[in-house]
Amino acid sequence: MDEEMSNSARRMSLRTRKIAPKMAAALASSDNRTQAMLARLDALESDNAVVEPQLLDDDDEASLDDEDQVFHKKYPKGTKRKTRQAKALENKRAPKSFLELLNEANLESLPPHVPTYLRAAVGPPSSTSRRHFCTVCGFSSTYTCVQCGMHFCSIKCKAIHNETRCLKFVA
Amino acid sequence: MSNVVVLDNGAGLMKAGIGGERDPTAIVPNSMGRPLSSKKWLMAEQLLSPDVDLTSATVRRPFDRGYLINPDLQSSLWSHIFSNLLKITPSHSSLLLTEPLFNLPSIQRSLDEIVFEDFNFKALYVSDSPSLVHLYEASRRPYGLVSKAQCSLVADCGFSFTHASPVFQNFTLNYAVKRLDLGGKALTNYLKELVSYRSVNLMDESFLMDDVKEKLCFVSLDVPRDLQIARKPGKDNLFRCTYVLPDGITNTKGFLKDREEPKRYLSLYDKAPQQVAGEQTDTDQLDNSEDRNRSNGSKIDLTKNEFGLTNERFLVPEMMFRPADLGLNQAGLAECIVRAISSCHSHLHPVLYESIILTGGSTLFPHFAKRLEMDLRPLVPDKYRLKITTQEDPILGVWRGGSLLASSPDFDAMCVTKAEYEELGSARCRKRFFH
Ligand SMILES: [Zn+2]
Ligand SMILES: [Zn+2]
Repeated sequence: MDEEMSNSARRMSLRTRKIAPKMAAALASSDNRTQAMLARLDALESDNAVVEPQLLDDDDEASLDDEDQVFHKKYPKGTKRKTRQAKALENKRAPKSFLELLNEANLESLPPHVPTYLRAAVGPPSSTSRRHFCTVCGFSSTYTCVQCGMHFCSIKCKAIHNETRCLKFVA
Repeated sequence: MSNVVVLDNGAGLMKAGIGGERDPTAIVPNSMGRPLSSKKWLMAEQLLSPDVDLTSATVRRPFDRGYLINPDLQSSLWSHIFSNLLKITPSHSSLLLTEPLFNLPSIQRSLDEIVFEDFNFKALYVSDSPSLVHLYEASRRPYGLVSKAQCSLVADCGFSFTHASPVFQNFTLNYAVKRLDLGGKALTNYLKELVSYRSVNLMDESFLMDDVKEKLCFVSLDVPRDLQIARKPGKDNLFRCTYVLPDGITNTKGFLKDREEPKRYLSLYDKAPQQVAGEQTDTDQLDNSEDRNRSNGSKIDLTKNEFGLTNERFLVPEMMFRPADLGLNQAGLAECIVRAISSCHSHLHPVLYESIILTGGSTLFPHFAKRLEMDLRPLVPDKYRLKITTQEDPILGVWRGGSLLASSPDFDAMCVTKAEYEELGSARCRKRFFH
């Protein structure tokens, strides 16, 4: 049990950096369905299916240098910018995610009449009835996976679900 | 008189040009991409070149969830478009820049820093998008309701999110704005998932899937009926389309196998929806899987490098209308609009329902406005008229409003100058842009 916990904590660490603490807490919850839903939102927002390139990549400088030269020819006053970019290249850590910036902005502390990003969220729908679509083939589905909450419509699709995507986002 | 550069700096596309002109000079991706076979990052319009093979290319964007997170990357992209595409000198120009609603103060500071310290612009005006869309629509029809009542409800389906924003007397009523966390990017990613699960793994192919989405997706006006049709075999399946993947040799871009195929379903939509809605949907679920798989891509020959789409064509845009059905616990677009309008003074309700303006790239799906009206009508009191206007060009609407504002005689007085920025700092200058 302990080992499993530390494994999942390690797995989480990469992702947690990109997610505000509140969400991270939800992610670390033992509820697979909550995890699956949050991970799903994350997946829909991601740019690359693979890991962020700037963490792995050492070839960036060559290409950005070209760009810098173009810049300095046209805008000789851009020296300040050069140092900023040079700095950005030196420390190759990824920029903060929006959720990290949001967390730092501490919007909860503003008085209730101030409109903020958080208060503008539309929130859940008023109707609780849902049409369910099979996550494998897209047609109407009547079954829900007990493990992850995703929907499927038939034995065939259940098999594909189990094989290829059940808890895929979580693992 | 000096130039005003108008920059609608979207998370997906940058629209940049000179104030007073009808259209922007550049409409280019706000991103860098690196093709698989290359070490060089391509910037903005370089990604649009027909010769570039973007198969499995890596993408970097300055924006995350609709907000600027990487100012250095943004600065590089701006310098590229200012010098290579617009060919302007920032120190001789003013800048009209759009920023997302509820932008964070820390991001505003970085933006001001780029504008005044990196580029040395003479002066800056920052606007949100809804007020510019309103301004443009009001000017197009000076005797229309939007113009006379001086208010509208702007529904903007962007790259990262969708906002329903009431605008009154050219100001966005921030306290009433409602946001749906879904936009074009999520739809592309959803399509990517569906296709990758069902036929070919295309999880790394965002550029390709954008093309598939733009060419093939549409909004269904009758989802149960269309699901039924989508499971039919052969020619009866009016939605089935085949998309051919690039092979990297003769084709570096994907394309439709048959350009007429995507239009076949329109025969359904020429008729009134009621006439064709007769088919029943409650077939016994477990026995149908064989038939279903046949109509759903499993017979596609993977060596031919193509894949078929059927129900994905309308299930993807369906996400905007019923996100909760697809696993995201948010209200859909119609309810988003109702909640925004309900947050305004009741005197404004009738005129807002009659002045809904649709903008943003994701409103380009066929039948989008019609479906929104069908979803909205039952939620809106009968005594109110409902009128939804689609912008002539939903991608350029914000920019055109900015171009108008930049050429108005008051524009210079609305700007913050570099000297004022240096004296007062970012936060105090910002107060001028909003009431
Ligand atoms: Zn199924
Ligand atoms: Zn499952």
